[in-house]
Amino acid sequence: MTFLIQQTLIYAIPLMIVALAGVFAERSGIINLALEGIMIFGAFIGVLFVNIVQQTDFFMAAKDADNYLALQGLEMLAMLAAAFMGAVFSLLLSFASINLRADQTIGGTALNLMAPALVLFLIRIIANQNTLQMASGDAASWFMIKKAMFGYGRTEDMGFFGSTFIDKTYIATYICILLFIILSIILYKTRFGLRLRSCGENPQAADSLGINVYKMRYAGTTISGALAGMGGFVYALTTSNCMATGDVAGFGFLALAVMIFGNWKPLNIAGAALLFGLFKCISASYSSIDINGDGVYMLANLGISVHLYRMLPYLITLIVLAFTSKNSRAPKAEGIPYDKGKR
Amino acid sequence: MKKFLAMLLALVMVFALAACGSEPAPTTSTAPSTEPTTEPSDTTEPSDTTDPDSIPDTMEADSYEVAFVTDVGQLKDKSFNEGTWNGVKTYAAENNLSYKYYQPANGDEATDDDRFDAMTAAVEGGAKVVVCAGYLQEAALRRAAIAYPDVHFVFIDGYAITEDPEDAESAVLTNVAGINFNEEQCGYLAGYAVVKDGFTSLGFSGGGGGTNPACCRYGYGFLQGASAAAAEMGVDVTVNYSWQYGNTFQASPELQSMIAGWYTTGTEIVFACGGNMFASISAAASANDGYVIGVDVDQSGESDQVITSAMKGIDQAAILAIGHSYDGTWDEIGGKTTTLGANDDAVGLPTATDSWRFEAFTVDEYNTLLESIKDGSLSVDANYPVDESGMDNAGSLELPNLTINVI
Repeated sequence: MTFLIQQTLIYAIPLMIVALAGVFAERSGIINLALEGIMIFGAFIGVLFVNIVQQTDFFMAAKDADNYLALQGLEMLAMLAAAFMGAVFSLLLSFASINLRADQTIGGTALNLMAPALVLFLIRIIANQNTLQMASGDAASWFMIKKAMFGYGRTEDMGFFGSTFIDKTYIATYICILLFIILSIILYKTRFGLRLRSCGENPQAADSLGINVYKMRYAGTTISGALAGMGGFVYALTTSNCMATGDVAGFGFLALAVMIFGNWKPLNIAGAALLFGLFKCISASYSSIDINGDGVYMLANLGISVHLYRMLPYLITLIVLAFTSKNSRAPKAEGIPYDKGKR
Repeated sequence: MKKFLAMLLALVMVFALAACGSEPAPTTSTAPSTEPTTEPSDTTEPSDTTDPDSIPDTMEADSYEVAFVTDVGQLKDKSFNEGTWNGVKTYAAENNLSYKYYQPANGDEATDDDRFDAMTAAVEGGAKVVVCAGYLQEAALRRAAIAYPDVHFVFIDGYAITEDPEDAESAVLTNVAGINFNEEQCGYLAGYAVVKDGFTSLGFSGGGGGTNPACCRYGYGFLQGASAAAAEMGVDVTVNYSWQYGNTFQASPELQSMIAGWYTTGTEIVFACGGNMFASISAAASANDGYVIGVDVDQSGESDQVITSAMKGIDQAAILAIGHSYDGTWDEIGGKTTTLGANDDAVGLPTATDSWRFEAFTVDEYNTLLESIKDGSLSVDANYPVDESGMDNAGSLELPNLTINVI
């Protein structure tokens, strides 16, 4: 059970935060198809940051001295760097679609095409191969929170709560959950959130009430870029051992699906991401899942082909989308460039 | 004001991009100055102790005499490609030859045409010897060897090949030297050693989807060794045996999840048998305090979780073959399959103090075992069982004291 929850969270969190990134852009009226590209770019920046900064004497010493606080700080700094560069990268989309009134779908697609190429190009120059890794050690030994940090021995048990939500987790996961909650509240309970949403529904009306639609849309896309960049790094850190390869396995597009599936609402998105994460986890490790702890691996004993398990997450998404997409409603003005002169 | 803001933003973006683009420039401009190959005085110095990592991967020259064409996966996979490349670099640097590596286009989906193009590029770049790593290169190698009969090709993890793939009686291409290894021997050593050291719940995660002969031999040897040690000690050993997520020899989140699942359900040590897959497996091990067995080269430096590594002398094979090409004794290996094993000191476990992380199993016990393989008193079977489609079929094995869960 512990294993199932932890692995589900590892897959679900990047999806959740990147889907929220999509919500911020779309609620302000900009379709952000570039989520995948921004994730790739953010992952690259985060890994590059870790790679460079971890070699400084301060962090090497911190690692040797098991100074966990410093290492967690490094992880958070890298998240910040990824978020910042993700935001900068998304400005390309904002500029094209807000100031130049270009087609947003094409602008996003252009970024999606550009990001992996640019990232691979840079990685090849920096590392002389197709992957950029940490300069030394691995993600788990540098950044993972383990029970040893709280003085527990190898064989001591932290109890269900401790071993599930503290042992073998990343602080990035909890930062993402916290951010997700805070940003959802901002979107629904503050003046800024209301104005942002109004720009995605009826920008002309919003403008007539004195809201600067351009500014709001810039804000929405920039927050979106920052979240997607951070999500990209969190993905690289927690699922692929802090490696940047110019690829995030389509998680950006999956996040788009999760966003639509979640009907552009944060709570539904969290549910959708968890559902997808759960099945992703089952498909990869069904043979080791012991739900009720009796030592019987039910899923492995069913004798179902491994290929069926691998299809599960996509199959489930398809089925659920087929049933729910009827009721989903996109922001009304998304994808339409705002033109002051048009009424 | 708005126009000004927009302009400012546009400028910021342009500069941000420009900054990204120019960031790595210093590394490329300093690279040539660190090339040691331009200094002729290097040649006279004994360089037995040269660390391959200190030899740069790229060098500037008009033509490149020694070429290396990589297998699937990264050049710096800390395993098969990198080990072979280290051998190529070491020989070239010691003999003051120019060298270059070529990665076939399309990465993991490289076709025979992509590989052939890489070989052609190597030959047209001036190569006299082309080292090709990985058995997947056979078809491309056949075409290249026929097209360029004056160039020597070294087929690592390969075999002698004939002009006509359908007709085993057709002429053997004498400019191709096939070199393979007795991987089952070092797999056996690793399996025996870990069980003797007290591990009873093992895992094997192999690359190539069960069709790569080298990986299959590693796995088969590993099972035999584990079974032999378990029978001697009278314990029962279980092995999770999997070819999942290994087709492309790449690290993947799914592989990491699967291996993490093994560790949480009691597996103590996993044999990471496939290039970059090591990254996922060692990450899972590091997160779950599990242990790892490395492959091809001594990987103890990569992670503290690596107990030992099943090594084969890929660097040694590359050096040997290129040497034969340059000292005029190519006939000894050209057109033949050379198998390197324990008798050639080409397979084994690393015994340096830093790499020997067993607690109960000693170097002396290891040496005794290695000797018995060398003198023939212990023979390890290399013919792994296959099913009707040619896939490895370890699940059909009945070995004493060993339970195999094929996943």
